Amino acid sequence: MGIVWASIATLGVLLAGGLLTWWLEPRLLKAFGSTEPGPAAPLDIRKNPRPSQADPLTYYGAPIIALFGVVWATVCLPWGPALIPADVNIGLFYFIVVVDFVVLAVALGGWGGNTPGSVEACYRIVAQLAAYVVPLGLAIIGPIMMARSLSTVHIVEAQRDAHLWYIAPQLPGFVLYLVTGLMQVYRAPFLEPFAACIDRGVLGACGGWPGVLWRLALAGLLFVVAAMGAVLFLGGYAGPWLPGWLWMLIKTLAVMVLMLWLGHRVRLRGTADMLALAWKFLIPVGLANVLLVGILILLGVGQGPFPLVGSAP
Amino acid sequence: MIAPVVEWIAFGVFAFIAVAGALGMTTTMSMFRSGIFLMASFIGVAGLFILLLADLIALLQVMMYIGGMLVMILFMLLFMHDPGGAMMSTHMSLKGPEKWFSLGLARRQTHGKHPHGQHEGDHGGHGDDMPMQDMSMYTAIKRPAAILALLTGALLIALLVWRPHWAVVHALPDQDSPTRIGELLMGKYMIAFEGAGLMILLGIFGAVLVQRPATPPPAPDRDQLKAAIDETPPPIEDDTLEPEVLDLREDEDR
Amino acid sequence: MTPIPLTAFLIIAAILFAIGLYTILAQRTAVMVLMGIECILNAVGLNLIAFWRFTAPGDYSGQIFTIIIITVGAIEMALGLAIMMLLYRNRQTVQVDDYTELKG
Repeated sequence: MGIVWASIATLGVLLAGGLLTWWLEPRLLKAFGSTEPGPAAPLDIRKNPRPSQADPLTYYGAPIIALFGVVWATVCLPWGPALIPADVNIGLFYFIVVVDFVVLAVALGGWGGNTPGSVEACYRIVAQLAAYVVPLGLAIIGPIMMARSLSTVHIVEAQRDAHLWYIAPQLPGFVLYLVTGLMQVYRAPFLEPFAACIDRGVLGACGGWPGVLWRLALAGLLFVVAAMGAVLFLGGYAGPWLPGWLWMLIKTLAVMVLMLWLGHRVRLRGTADMLALAWKFLIPVGLANVLLVGILILLGVGQGPFPLVGSAP
Repeated sequence: MIAPVVEWIAFGVFAFIAVAGALGMTTTMSMFRSGIFLMASFIGVAGLFILLLADLIALLQVMMYIGGMLVMILFMLLFMHDPGGAMMSTHMSLKGPEKWFSLGLARRQTHGKHPHGQHEGDHGGHGDDMPMQDMSMYTAIKRPAAILALLTGALLIALLVWRPHWAVVHALPDQDSPTRIGELLMGKYMIAFEGAGLMILLGIFGAVLVQRPATPPPAPDRDQLKAAIDETPPPIEDDTLEPEVLDLREDEDR
Repeated sequence: MTPIPLTAFLIIAAILFAIGLYTILAQRTAVMVLMGIECILNAVGLNLIAFWRFTAPGDYSGQIFTIIIITVGAIEMALGLAIMMLLYRNRQTVQVDDYTELKG
């Protein structure tokens, strides 16, 4: 795709996915009976809180950076064999890095808001980054090893050629991805940076257009992380009768519903509990997952014929 | 691959971000902005790496330094008297690059307190009567250091411009960098790879052990400390920020 | 137009090196000195990748070397921050002008 069409397509996909998630999430939360919406807290258009001592550079720049991070993450999501804005050669690594930009944005916005709640959110978000990044890497390594490529299109094509969705041999990896995905998107049980006790962190210090951008970015983030889970473990756009993008949408929504439902079954964790969980439990599970996937690869699971699209791996 | 004009424009943009970020880190009055500017400088250099067709290293640089700089900023906020720079930029008259990189930090003198410097209430001791002497961020050798740095930079650039040619090769690198790097790391440079891993482990142990208190607190205190950590903190009373923090106003143009 | 020459990247690295040098010498707090060191490491990494690309693009050892340097830089920063925290705890100050035990 040309650069202009690719940019327009990326923005369109993100807006569609983000608005869909923004509309869908409160209804899902009500269906699951949750009391703590976290980042999905409703936006009250009539109130427009604006801290009087905000640092204008970081306060207004932060939601823009968050939105950029999510837009860049949409670039490597495949909706069909050729329906991808840019098939980045190192797509998955690129995905982890650009989702880090959302963390940076919340830290900047938290500091810039200059209210006690938002500065507390700045600290909590950095703690959450330290918690999720290593287990996420270990969860993602499994499909990369089986597909022998970092590119998202290659991973989907490898699942299609092997007639095996990677969730089947890598169930621990999938559960690990769900848990670290919840940490990445700051939904229950890991919603400390956006908890009600600190006035919803950055969301409580913003109103008007920064508030809208923040909520769009956070909804888009949930959409993008769920979509990447569908690509890695559920076979992306591969499927029999329906067109590719419809399969991808269905799988993304399935992963999203699963993440939210599992999240709301568990009680909320504080930051210290989350860090302990990540470092003491999730990392050993992740390492065991890598070992398991290695054994499976040596036994020949998931190693279908590899005539992959595009350049050779 | 890309037209040379586009390459030069991209080079100009990323080089500007890298150099302006480094300058901003040095000259701004706010510690937080220093960290952010250094992060921007690293991202500029990562852009230059992408121009040099080293995309994996560019992403690695961005990932490591976003995390690293955020943690460094958090450490800075714990120890500095004025991490936001509000006090220094309100009370000192700034000139040149310091002024430009510290825009937006000075506070109106509507009250005697300084909001930015006091948000960390429990790292207190920064009371109302902050001694106004000696707030500068620079050592006494600022002027000679600047001259030395300028001379070093000029010397290096002169050497680069007037040096005879390097043995430049015009081949393009192999596009499949993950595979090649993986093969090298697991093959030829296995010892370096494992050594780096061991060093990271030693660094983690060392950092934790260095800053641990020498003896644990005595037993009765330990229970009190644990209870103090577990209970919910009291709400912030006597907070000077409270009246003017949230400017809740009805949105006028609806 | 000619493609970007090697010297352009090296000049940017030299400028970053000079700014980092100034930061190390002129800043008063230990954390800023650490940031100056990181700036110099940044310049070194840029030099390495520029030389890799222009003199030996077929051999990926240049990128391996850069990975190791970035890793070592991160470790050194973490240890530097831990030491600085210990110094603060003992002396209640982080300004390098006040660490004068070895003087004279």
